[in-house]
Amino acid sequence: MTTRYLILEDGTSYKGKAFGAEATTTGEIIVNSNMLGYQEVITNQIYHNQIIVFTQPSIGNTGINHKSFEAIVTNSKGVVVKEYSNISTNRLGNLNLDLFLKQHNIPGIAGIDTRELTRRLNRKQTMKASIVDMDDEHAFDQLHATVLTNQQVNQVSTKAPFPNTGDGYNIVLIDFGLKYGILRKLADLDCNVIVMPFETTSQEIFDLDPDGVVLSTGPGSPRDLPDSVLQMIREVQKEIPMFAMGLGHELFALANDANVYKLDGEHHGSNHPIRQVITNQIIYASQSEGYAVDPKSIIHDQLLITYVDLVNGTVQGIRHRDYPAFSVQFSPDGGPGPQDSADLFEEFLENVSSQRR
Amino acid sequence: MSKVVVDKMAMQRALTRITYEIIEKNKGVNNLVLVGIKTRGIYLAKRIANRLQKLENKEVPVVGIDVTKYRDDIQHTDNEPAVLSDEAVSLKDKNIILVDDVLFTGRTINAALSAIAELGRPKNIRLAVLVDRGHRELPIRADFVGKNIPTSKQEIINVQVDEIDDQDSVEIDEK
Repeated sequence: MTTRYLILEDGTSYKGKAFGAEATTTGEIIVNSNMLGYQEVITNQIYHNQIIVFTQPSIGNTGINHKSFEAIVTNSKGVVVKEYSNISTNRLGNLNLDLFLKQHNIPGIAGIDTRELTRRLNRKQTMKASIVDMDDEHAFDQLHATVLTNQQVNQVSTKAPFPNTGDGYNIVLIDFGLKYGILRKLADLDCNVIVMPFETTSQEIFDLDPDGVVLSTGPGSPRDLPDSVLQMIREVQKEIPMFAMGLGHELFALANDANVYKLDGEHHGSNHPIRQVITNQIIYASQSEGYAVDPKSIIHDQLLITYVDLVNGTVQGIRHRDYPAFSVQFSPDGGPGPQDSADLFEEFLENVSSQRR
Repeated sequence: MSKVVVDKMAMQRALTRITYEIIEKNKGVNNLVLVGIKTRGIYLAKRIANRLQKLENKEVPVVGIDVTKYRDDIQHTDNEPAVLSDEAVSLKDKNIILVDDVLFTGRTINAALSAIAELGRPKNIRLAVLVDRGHRELPIRADFVGKNIPTSKQEIINVQVDEIDDQDSVEIDEK
């Protein structure tokens, strides 16, 4: 394997072995602590423009299979691992990770002390990094000069509506960079889904007369989106049962006058116990968050807090008091990670059926 | 030959959703009193009150009533007390949520409305049921329904609650 370098904005350089594509990339560097599911992680559009560091030491051992894609177009900018495992004995695997990354022009770097790197990045504001062939002054100059786009949702959201057909309830899914797990869960529940671009107006949604509206997950900051999106949420939540997750949840919060702040260090993993307020039960869920809703900013007359992260105290779920609209910060469909909260989709459909009666 | 149509998790979800819907309709927990009917309605009312307390951090009173005295479809003696509660309770000007396990002909609820009439004039009364099985004989409907289970008159719906039956479930049985 040839040599490659991972360089960070703060001047640090890591030497490693190259795998994946021969590409030079720059992105925001984040750490993912999920033990399983690197394919779902790498293909999740939340990681658009991000370089992913896996804490799981050996990555690549289950290959790539047809069913675990969270998106076909992969936008992440690099994969950083301790050990790249080329041994894949998984019977569902039809491709290995190295080839997959080459197909998508994503570079990988192995042999990195990911534990040290994680501690370096832990609880700090996110920084940029590059995967390069030489860690010289030129590479660092390029790194510092690169401005990462804030139009991420615009880049990943679908440009035209498309269906995911079914016989059941008619659902409009607003695409902020959705993960396929959402479509899978809605399909399991027989929903007739229409996926719409992120700038869809409330009138366009009302014209379709759906039974329910889902706001998807996606990359970037909720504040990078135009105010018209918040306006759409305010108008639609009054009339149609709504369910939002991830970036959708942050937008739902902003639309209802709560504040969203950037976390010190993004959290990507499934290891935080989350308390469901109404029953005091604990669940675990797949979390991918760079931002969180500020509990002190929640106007009690408008929103109820429904889930709380017990490790960092962040708000993980809210619900509107007056309308059947609710949202969660995490991904209830798992992918990767626990499906403890997959019944939130059923809860959403129960709201839909109550409304339709 | 009984079939489980609602299991423990589904029952929990149903009660959770009913709780949120009560907050939506009532605009909070102001003036709220939960009135549970007979046995199982009282346990369900207590569970809803528990959830309301967790969300809003306020105690919502739960009153139990025995409506046998007011029923027009079963033989009974006239001397049973209506309210199963030690303290004197006034429902005057309150927002009542009547809670029962199964809504069928509607005669139990009709009897409950008569019972409540003796306890003061509430501001309004809404009905929450875990199961609506259809076949109404009176113009009565539920505001909050856990699950709609269409049944034939030959079938029996059997609701079990952990507090007295050691499990949470709703089963359908042939008569």
